[in-house]
Amino acid sequence: MIDPTVVNLSRLQFALTALYHFQFVPLTLGLSFILAAMETVYVITGKPIYKDMTLFWGKLFGINFAIGVATGLTMEFEFGTNWSMYSHFVGDVFGTPLAIEGLMAFFMESTFVGLMFFGWDRLSRPAHLAVTYLVALASNLSALWILIANGFMQDPAGARFDPVTMRMQFKSFGALVFSPDAQAKFVHTSIAGYVSGAMFVMGISAYYLLRKQHREFAARSFRIAALFGLVSTLAVVTLGDALGRMDDLVQPAKLAAMEGLWHSARGPSAPWKLFALPDDEKQRDAASIGIPYVLTPLVAHEWKTTIPGIYALERAAKARTVSGIKAIIALKSFGASHDPAALAAFRKHENDMGYGFLAQRYAPDQDLSAITPALLPAVLAKTARASIPNVFVEFWSFRIMVGLGVAFIVVFAFGAYYSLKNELEKHPLVMKAAMLAIPLPILACEFGWVTAENGRQPWTVYGWLPTFQSASSHGIGYMIFSLAGFVLLYSLFIAAELYLMFKYARLGPGEHTAQPKPLPVPVRPVFGQPGYAHKPWQ
Amino acid sequence: MKDLVKFGALALVLLTALLLAVVAGDEGPWYFAWLVGTTMIVLIAVSSAVLFETQEANSLATHKETSQ
Repeated sequence: MIDPTVVNLSRLQFALTALYHFQFVPLTLGLSFILAAMETVYVITGKPIYKDMTLFWGKLFGINFAIGVATGLTMEFEFGTNWSMYSHFVGDVFGTPLAIEGLMAFFMESTFVGLMFFGWDRLSRPAHLAVTYLVALASNLSALWILIANGFMQDPAGARFDPVTMRMQFKSFGALVFSPDAQAKFVHTSIAGYVSGAMFVMGISAYYLLRKQHREFAARSFRIAALFGLVSTLAVVTLGDALGRMDDLVQPAKLAAMEGLWHSARGPSAPWKLFALPDDEKQRDAASIGIPYVLTPLVAHEWKTTIPGIYALERAAKARTVSGIKAIIALKSFGASHDPAALAAFRKHENDMGYGFLAQRYAPDQDLSAITPALLPAVLAKTARASIPNVFVEFWSFRIMVGLGVAFIVVFAFGAYYSLKNELEKHPLVMKAAMLAIPLPILACEFGWVTAENGRQPWTVYGWLPTFQSASSHGIGYMIFSLAGFVLLYSLFIAAELYLMFKYARLGPGEHTAQPKPLPVPVRPVFGQPGYAHKPWQ
Repeated sequence: MKDLVKFGALALVLLTALLLAVVAGDEGPWYFAWLVGTTMIVLIAVSSAVLFETQEANSLATHKETSQ
């Protein structure tokens, strides 16, 4: 018997570790390319202030990078410890991108990050710039493979269930890597990181300008970050729309929950809910305000499409559950006898197998063959209800993310406009807004993940494997103990990050100059330095 | 000889970029958009800094002229 409390505690533990980890990731993704941009200006203009800028922001990047790596490592192990059923079911497919991430992106990142920090006096300017770009590329490639793995959970492309091994087996590596969901997810997430990095640099620069400190340094940093952030925010909104379209095609229940659609939306006049208080228990809104003629073009990019609502999706889920129950019963029979007739029966209902697994939770003793005709309607109703994610959480996490995204456009637009006019210091309100907005893009990323992952429920692999069937069979005590340990450890990581970030941001960049000056030592590659060839180990 | 090697290396980079663009453009349009978009974002940020330097130089020159 599967204990729902253990499943919920496993979910809570993974959600917390993922949300903790993702407080660091966006800054790494964004700051790495901002550093590359700053160093590019240094190489082009030869002005040492841009080297100072790369060094200072690089120091903050380094703090964030180290703690981000530490918090991310545990998550990969959690798949094995807390989600062993899931790992057994999709390990062949899901493990591949994770392994590539480790072997390709992580190794590349770790190698070049050392050269980036310690290679300033040992590499030529162009060589060091190339290293900085490689660090940025590797950080984002790391995110790419993780998001390909996540894309598989959202839309399992490139795999097929094998009833002999009882696992999902690879069908096409190309289909996995080029899955439209993985693609849209990667670009949206990566560029959301750029927004976070840009707001971080812009906000701290605004802090210096408000305090009339490091003006030369801060005005240049602000300019680069404002333009970087403005274009990134416009891109992230556009790419978010693409991801929403993807959800409309492959995850209709997620989209219905995001838009709070209880009834199907027909025709061009369907309203888009600006505000609503969805009641999951009663399956209706306690209150709502909608704007007509917005929903259909926004979601479907045309006027006539019908967008299925939650009631319609539940009706469809009931039909699929009947078919799924037959699939699981046939699968069990095939597993026991290897009877070709059982295999043929399974193949007939294979695509609804996930709904059969989902119904298991509501069957007597979690045994589908024990469902009597009298019990069937109740099992179908409960399964259909369970096939819809929590609407309140989905509706509001999506709206908070979108609302913050729109606010960022305003902050970056004003920041860029006044910076381009060199009138920034006449508008302290813009600088105060930039400073206060520093944590908001990270918050938006967190709400983005809540939207993505709450919307995937009740599945770990959408339509194939329910979350309920995916967890390991730990005891409740073990789960509470490990959860408490994770919360404590990760809170310490956050505290360390905040302490170091505040400390070094307050200390500022130190002495710097906007004017070019001759370098004290000519830049030469390490192997060109005197004495290198003679006993370099001494 | 050195120039020939340099030319060959750059030609290889160009071919790789073209191949990447064709494959990514055909199979992964969003990946291609990321490559092009990230390059564009970085270039816009770099241009904005170069513009800053030009503005600073102009403002310094104007200041010198008015003070003379």
